[in-house]
Amino acid sequence: MRRRTFLAAAGGGVVALIGAGAAVWTQVPVIPKRPDPDVETALGWISHRDGRYTLVLPRAEMGQNIATALKQVACAELGAAWDAVDVEPHDTRRARVKATVGSESVGVFAEPLAQACAALRDAVAAGQTEGQITVRPRPMAELRAFRPGAIVGTSPEIAQGREIVTGAPLFAADVRRPNMLYGRVLRAPASIEMRSAPGSWDVAAAQRIPGFVAIVEDCGPPIAKARGLGIVATRPGALDAIAAALAVAWDIRGAAPAPDIAGSIDVDARTGAGKLPHTVLDGAPAPGDWDVSLRLDVPFGAHAPIEPRAAVAEWQSGALTVWAGTQDAFYVRDVLADAFGVSADAVTVQSHRIGGGFGGKTICTVEAEAAALARATGRPVKVQWTRAQEFALGFHRPPSSHRVRARVADGRITDWDHAQVSSHILFTSAAVPAWMQKGTDLLVGDPGVARGMAAPYVLGRAHAAYDAIRLPVPGGPWRGLGAGPNGLAVESAIDAAAIVADADPLAFRLAHVADPRLAGVLRRVGAIANWSAAATPAAGQRTGRGLAGGIYKEKSYAAAVADVAVDARGRVRVTRLWCVHDCGLVINPDQVRAQCEGNLVWSLGLVLSDELAIERGRVVAENFADAPIPRMTDVPEITVDLIESDLPPAGAGETAMVAGPGAIANAIRAATGRRPVRFPVRAGDLAA
Amino acid sequence: MSFILNGEGREVPADWADESLLFLLREHFGLTGAKFGCGVGICGACTVLVDGAATQSCMMRAGDVAGLSVRTVEGLAEGGALHPVQQAWLDLGVPQCGYCQAGQIMLAVALLDATPRPTDADIDATMEVGLCRCGTYRRIRAAIARAAEAV
Repeated sequence: MRRRTFLAAAGGGVVALIGAGAAVWTQVPVIPKRPDPDVETALGWISHRDGRYTLVLPRAEMGQNIATALKQVACAELGAAWDAVDVEPHDTRRARVKATVGSESVGVFAEPLAQACAALRDAVAAGQTEGQITVRPRPMAELRAFRPGAIVGTSPEIAQGREIVTGAPLFAADVRRPNMLYGRVLRAPASIEMRSAPGSWDVAAAQRIPGFVAIVEDCGPPIAKARGLGIVATRPGALDAIAAALAVAWDIRGAAPAPDIAGSIDVDARTGAGKLPHTVLDGAPAPGDWDVSLRLDVPFGAHAPIEPRAAVAEWQSGALTVWAGTQDAFYVRDVLADAFGVSADAVTVQSHRIGGGFGGKTICTVEAEAAALARATGRPVKVQWTRAQEFALGFHRPPSSHRVRARVADGRITDWDHAQVSSHILFTSAAVPAWMQKGTDLLVGDPGVARGMAAPYVLGRAHAAYDAIRLPVPGGPWRGLGAGPNGLAVESAIDAAAIVADADPLAFRLAHVADPRLAGVLRRVGAIANWSAAATPAAGQRTGRGLAGGIYKEKSYAAAVADVAVDARGRVRVTRLWCVHDCGLVINPDQVRAQCEGNLVWSLGLVLSDELAIERGRVVAENFADAPIPRMTDVPEITVDLIESDLPPAGAGETAMVAGPGAIANAIRAATGRRPVRFPVRAGDLAA
Repeated sequence: MSFILNGEGREVPADWADESLLFLLREHFGLTGAKFGCGVGICGACTVLVDGAATQSCMMRAGDVAGLSVRTVEGLAEGGALHPVQQAWLDLGVPQCGYCQAGQIMLAVALLDATPRPTDADIDATMEVGLCRCGTYRRIRAAIARAAEAV
């Protein structure tokens, strides 16, 4: 074993050296910039040449089929044929666009795009064939894109659908460059919040592996506090063998993190120690006994996209190009420029279709690894994380612990209190260091943890408050942020209160609703599911039906009904799902339905299976066998109904997360008489 | 080491023989439809047909395809016409992110080749291998039924 060696690679002549301890990575994080788009920026997204249009997609496409929806907006406003508009992903040589997060692609981007297209349409009609145009923003009523017509409100063949079903290259890992090599950055098998670095390794053994090219010590910034050791090969399959042969001995410093994550966010212990610092609802419940007092706990959960994140990087004359599947190409560009000490102009990030994002592909990790290995070897390098790296080195849905209490009198909730302890979601420990979190903790808390905590009902004297604790495993945005777990907690407690009031759960909710759109989706889901009917039968099993509803980001509405069957051993099967969704004007009904279906499958996962095993502050799940996701056989028939509306279009990518988990959990309660409070539910808790 | 790739004779280079079939296809032949998802054959994203049988290509040694016939999603369409399974996928708007879909399509092709009129239980048994995080499972099931009518 030799330490910190400069070495020449076997065979190919590539020299791998790469200075020991070279880089001191910045301690001040690059903060994502997230400006809303304006019409002038939108002009850069659409162009015209010889009768054809090119739409440079200002958003990342990751399955929400925003490419299709924005193409529909463009075609409708331009008056262009479907085949006359080409859609391309963006790169960072364009004007900055904000991260693709928060289900706001239609709500925030459609109108500027339509304004730009209207101006372009008029200029082309006036005979202009060259040069820039200016936009005179016009009233919404004058825009053609927001009137249902031949394109908007219909469901054309999805953009890039043909490429997907024929296997055409679309994703970052599909990129191939001349003379490309394959790399990986190994990191210690420890919590990434512990300071770790490669100590020693077996160079000679690695060199004997066919395909070996280089060992790279200077392999990019640490991930949290975990420094890596890079390896590069001529074939991707050689990387496993090289990693095994290297047998890296890791220096791991510092005290092991508190092993008891559940204990550190225990809501009852925390509220017993003092007031929660961040208030969402500021009512003052009257003192006295509660009729409902539920404790619910949700563990860490993985995004588990089928695509482990990937990037290809290439340096030419001091300029870096990175092909990446990221939700925020501009942020990745800024981080790379900072990390490698070059100007932002010298870095181009080309965005690609993402193989599942769900909030998890917003930070810069694999891109910096690829850039560092490419710089060291002087050749293009592709890095795709292993499944184990995807679990261990990303960030996750943080665990949350809830205590929800309600008091009921004369069929109404008069007092309400929801306390939650979780970990950061927006001011995430994956993106900012602990000292900076202390500042945000003092000033603003974490709106991601709070999302969905303001129950969408009239609940009398209602109070809700939370705390966010830094944990050894980074948390961050996961589909719906806090709205999934918070909706589950709120709707479980509403269901329990309805039982106390001896009221029908649908009628009870409607009696507490002030918002007519929420009432609308609840009534409609009751109608399409025939709410008063019995649950889908299942021979020899306990069956039940549950309901839930909610509002996402104060803009979109969903309600769901679930049927479940529970066998004698307590195993739960969801047997039927219905969902009604109101996100205002719908550009593409079929793909809004698809988002609802996806959210319902995620809801099923949240209640029945999502759990990421952690030991000593380290994710130990290495594969889908350790952290299962819903499968074909878990998913029942789903009916989705969309409310027709001409209100401004809002998001659909996360909305049904407010309703699906509660509906399934309440159905389990109806089937078994037992309220699920530990998630994912355990069969042993529900055995007959 | 010769084999048939989408109907044409091809060679496995000697230095790629110990590579996985998945990376041989993706990186040597540039056929990017099959995807890396888990590396241990349990997500199905890398599924191709080897002598007609659905096979997780991440688990097969490239050199072991010598003398066999490999069909990938790139080899389904004939003369510019999509395979009925591909067409059903488009007609029903199945793909969301799309990353797993080539594997799902190859599983469905193998299913329909062996069982032209599959029951729900047949679909479950074959498609259980294919994981999709976006949750397109109901549409996959419907597209298989639609393709079965068209085949």
